[in-house]
Amino acid sequence: MSNPFKKWDAESRREFMLRTAKATLGVSVLSHADKVMAAAEAAPAGKGGKAKSVIYLYMAGGMSHIDTWDPKTGDTKGPKDPISTNADMKLGGYMTNMAKQADKITVVRSMSSKTGVHEAGTYVMKTGYEPRGTIVHPSLGSWGQHFLGKVSKTLPSSVTIGGGGGPGAGFFPPALAPVPIGDPDRGLQNVTSSANGESFNKRIALMNEFDSAFKDKFKSSEVKAYNDFYDETLKLLKSEDLKAFDLSQEDTATKEMYGAGQLGRGCLLARRLVQNGVRFVEVVSGGWDMHNYIDDAMGKTGAAMDKAFAALIEDLKRTGLLDSTLVVMGSEFGRTPRINENSGRDHFPKAYSTVFAGGGVKGGYVYGSTNAEGSEVADKQVTVQDFIATIGCAMGLPVDKVVFSPSGRPFTVGDKGTVVADIFA
Amino acid sequence: MKTKRYLLTGIGVLVLAATSASAAESRVWTDTQGRKVQAAFIKLDGDTIYLQTADGTVYPLPVARFSAEDQALAKSLKPAEDANVLAQVPTNATAAQAAAKIDQLVKMGLQRGNLKMAEAYKKSAAEEMKAGKQPKPYKPLAENPKCSDEQFVRRVYIDIVGRIPSYEETAAFLKSGSTTKRAELIDKLLDSDGYVSAAYDYFADMFRVKDKFDGADFVRGLPYTQWLKEQIAKNQPWNKIAYEMITANGKVWNNGAAGYLLRDSGMPLDNLANTLTVFLGTDVACAQCHDHPFTDWTQMQFYQMASFFGATTTRLNGKDFANGDPGKKLQEDLVYQIEKTGGDPKKFRNLIGNVIGANRYEVRDRETNSMKLPHDYKYKDGAPNDPVAPKLIMWSPKDKENPAYKAVEAELGTKAASKSKKAKEASMAQNSEGLRDTFGKWMVADTNPRFAMTIANRLWARAFGLGFTQSVKSIDSVEEASNPELLKHLGNEMVRLKFNMKDFMRVLYNTQTYQREATTEDLAMGEPYYFQGPILRRMTAEQAWDSYMTLVLGEGLDKIKNTEADPYGRAIDMDLEKTTMQTLASKITALQNLNKEAQKKMGGSLADAGGKTATKGGKASKDDEDMMMEDKIVNYNGMKLMRASELEQPAPPGHFLREFGQSERLVGDSNSKAGSVPQVLTLMNGKAQDMLTNKDSLIHRTLKTARDPAEKTEMVFLSVLSRHPTLREKDIAKKEIQAHGDEGYSNMIWALINTREFTFVQ
Repeated sequence: MSNPFKKWDAESRREFMLRTAKATLGVSVLSHADKVMAAAEAAPAGKGGKAKSVIYLYMAGGMSHIDTWDPKTGDTKGPKDPISTNADMKLGGYMTNMAKQADKITVVRSMSSKTGVHEAGTYVMKTGYEPRGTIVHPSLGSWGQHFLGKVSKTLPSSVTIGGGGGPGAGFFPPALAPVPIGDPDRGLQNVTSSANGESFNKRIALMNEFDSAFKDKFKSSEVKAYNDFYDETLKLLKSEDLKAFDLSQEDTATKEMYGAGQLGRGCLLARRLVQNGVRFVEVVSGGWDMHNYIDDAMGKTGAAMDKAFAALIEDLKRTGLLDSTLVVMGSEFGRTPRINENSGRDHFPKAYSTVFAGGGVKGGYVYGSTNAEGSEVADKQVTVQDFIATIGCAMGLPVDKVVFSPSGRPFTVGDKGTVVADIFA
Repeated sequence: MKTKRYLLTGIGVLVLAATSASAAESRVWTDTQGRKVQAAFIKLDGDTIYLQTADGTVYPLPVARFSAEDQALAKSLKPAEDANVLAQVPTNATAAQAAAKIDQLVKMGLQRGNLKMAEAYKKSAAEEMKAGKQPKPYKPLAENPKCSDEQFVRRVYIDIVGRIPSYEETAAFLKSGSTTKRAELIDKLLDSDGYVSAAYDYFADMFRVKDKFDGADFVRGLPYTQWLKEQIAKNQPWNKIAYEMITANGKVWNNGAAGYLLRDSGMPLDNLANTLTVFLGTDVACAQCHDHPFTDWTQMQFYQMASFFGATTTRLNGKDFANGDPGKKLQEDLVYQIEKTGGDPKKFRNLIGNVIGANRYEVRDRETNSMKLPHDYKYKDGAPNDPVAPKLIMWSPKDKENPAYKAVEAELGTKAASKSKKAKEASMAQNSEGLRDTFGKWMVADTNPRFAMTIANRLWARAFGLGFTQSVKSIDSVEEASNPELLKHLGNEMVRLKFNMKDFMRVLYNTQTYQREATTEDLAMGEPYYFQGPILRRMTAEQAWDSYMTLVLGEGLDKIKNTEADPYGRAIDMDLEKTTMQTLASKITALQNLNKEAQKKMGGSLADAGGKTATKGGKASKDDEDMMMEDKIVNYNGMKLMRASELEQPAPPGHFLREFGQSERLVGDSNSKAGSVPQVLTLMNGKAQDMLTNKDSLIHRTLKTARDPAEKTEMVFLSVLSRHPTLREKDIAKKEIQAHGDEGYSNMIWALINTREFTFVQ
């Protein structure tokens, strides 16, 4: 009847501490922890484990599956006819650029979720868990850092572009939270000081002098942790790594290839970050809640997505990063096959699509299917938990490993979902 | 008398010689080591014997320390008639008297801890001796020294009003020669507007208060927020606040208390898990889905508790209206009308739907209790989808005799006990009335085994940085708390004070324990803390933001209020059964205008912000205060300059507050005090920082009133760190100003705000 933490066996407790320490303090500090944990978790048996990095393109609002990845020809077809691609699959009529990259993607057409509400649907698509009022679950980037440690002394291990809030580190320490970037063009927030270089250094020196008595008196670990964060931040500010966040380093032709919108810019920044070693980048792009005039909305939002997604795959291929980078596209649900009275489509969690590219995944492949209307999963249903576990597996995370929250509750990557091993090449 | 002193010292109390043994029951008590004390028997409560010495002091002493005969005797003796009163402080005790009792219990806890640690030390010392090492002498833990006035003024402002004191406030306190100035300041702060903001911030984190309720686009938390602030402002007793939240009916804009259940519309089980955690310090979230793996709670017990809410809905549907849901027709009528008059109905359909939809969110009790076991129920004591009758959890077998339980038993009657499924369903249907009321009364009862103790533990943790249990969310076992006697005593105090939170806090802040220096070393992990003083803690996000605001706006800050709740409530409220199409159309227009109205309140610039107090040399006149209240809300680079409690709940992602750890309000008590690189970047280069070093900021304008650089340096230190600079710091400051002139002050302000001394409360 007391603290559940005490009830763990010694091994689980030690492991939790080591992991937390390792993830918070960085890889260099605790090499012993590395050894202990490397022994504990070899990469999952069989497939997966090839993706050193993941770019998760999240289409906020509910992406219509029929108008993008699971086109239909009957009554539910929508405004545009399906188009042929360079692989053995058809895509929605707006996906003209992606049609040329279809040989590099796997489309999962048999997704099914239980919730038709944006917030709850988004939460489960990022954590694998239904939202609860009593715990916050970690997002995939934080799971990655928990199991694999920090990627470098200065760069964050995971970054969210354009996403705002989200579950973040969940029950892990905040140091495992993805670093948010609002506007890709502006890069990392607050890296430029109003004071010039010399003046800034002077301020830091003054700070240290004024703080010395306090730091001498209070040698608690909380105070020391803050000292470390100041050191780490100063290191980042002086580091070349900052350029990873700076889109002005890219030439005009590349920028044009991706497109000028939020998603295009976000994808380009994601590529730069992955190139520099960031493990998990989430790019969030809105405009998908197409209750009204879906043709107009797809013409804008859908076309911009098509351009950016295709550019990203091509660019990753060109730079040799595609094999080690998994690109995933997801959304909280699909949209109703029937066009509504406002010429739009409404929320539809029962059947929808996600897309995988690179990172050891098959090209030109379609997994699962829906019926002729796109209203039911016809074959090989994939749950959101399966989807998250599959990404985890591609990253080399031990998805079966039970991890306890500080409150003593057990969790896994993807809530015990089944890895869709068939999509790995 | 020597023998008596010996025993009590050993257990931890130094007693003054007592001359007369007046009480008839007074006798000599002997401990296991033969030490003796003369005292009267008060009562035996669990493992504790309460004895009263001749000077009237009552001591709780562990029964195990007494000789076997005395133990047997204690078990046979009847408690003194006024036992429960004697063990507490007098009903009408002053704050100082009540504080002294707490200090005594802290002292006893510390001494008990020392005994335990000394024993552990003996063992390890013996081992070291065996190994041929000379062990270091044992150093008992001592209470921390009394904190200085500078430390006190900063701490007490941050704790009670949630921000650092302004320059004027600090200077006034330090200058005052009154011998009771600490107690006076505590009284003043408890009665200020700032108290409401600070207490609200604490409860908003605990209750997960949000502006935007999940799922319902147009149901906003504003009226709930406002209601909560009103309760705090009028110092509504905690038991009344809690009871109202549990039993409220209606829409949130007609009854703010309904916000508590509406916040979790669609997830009543999560809401219950939070209710048990927040009000009763009992973490049963696991039992929501399966029997609790570590403690004794079962899933059946969880559903039995949930059954008290089984007749309650938070969202009306067709069955809740006499003639079916009128919303759909209203929507279609208005859409048709818009189309007829040449508008584009597609643009309005969703908006109209949302406004109607928001009016379906209402707390109401239905005629049947529909609580059922989950479809995957897997234990032997029930079948999936079986109806569940309401039943209360107990923390100990003696709870059965507790009046709070007896009252519920009487109200529920014996119907719930029927065996057959049919009979159960029938009885529950009959029994759906007043279920929440029954639960609410039990929950807040004076004799509820956890209610008073839970809020007492929480408020203690607010003042001292740490509760008596590992987490304030869970008091699984009172006996395992770091100081069980004190925790129980504080629960009793809460009842004695009739759940008056201000009076309770007044007692805590007046203790010597609170007014000691913060503990400097790390707390040993897993070891109890004996409250040698408060612990060092990082400011909460709200305290940090509000402290920044103090430097920009001065103390007038506390008067700037968010006033959006009432216009919102007026704009959206409709009785769906009586609303006409015209009313609906006017509602939609009113809602669309809300933003414009809010915009009108914005204005002013940094240079005017809080300016009147600064330019008049620190004395604000009555006129100035009135003007401040009418003042517009200053917007600096997209930041509204108001206290955290008046901003959006929670602040949007990327805001200073969120970078600094403000909870997303998904889970209770999840404000974070951990650092991160983005957070440090915000502290170094963020907009809020930029604002403080800006020449128009209040702190810079205050400096203009100083006579010379030395006085300016004083002002900077008093404004930011609430203390005078040391000689060494004066010297550093002097050099900085010689080198950089006015820019030197900006550099100093920047540097001081970035110190750990600023961020941590000592």
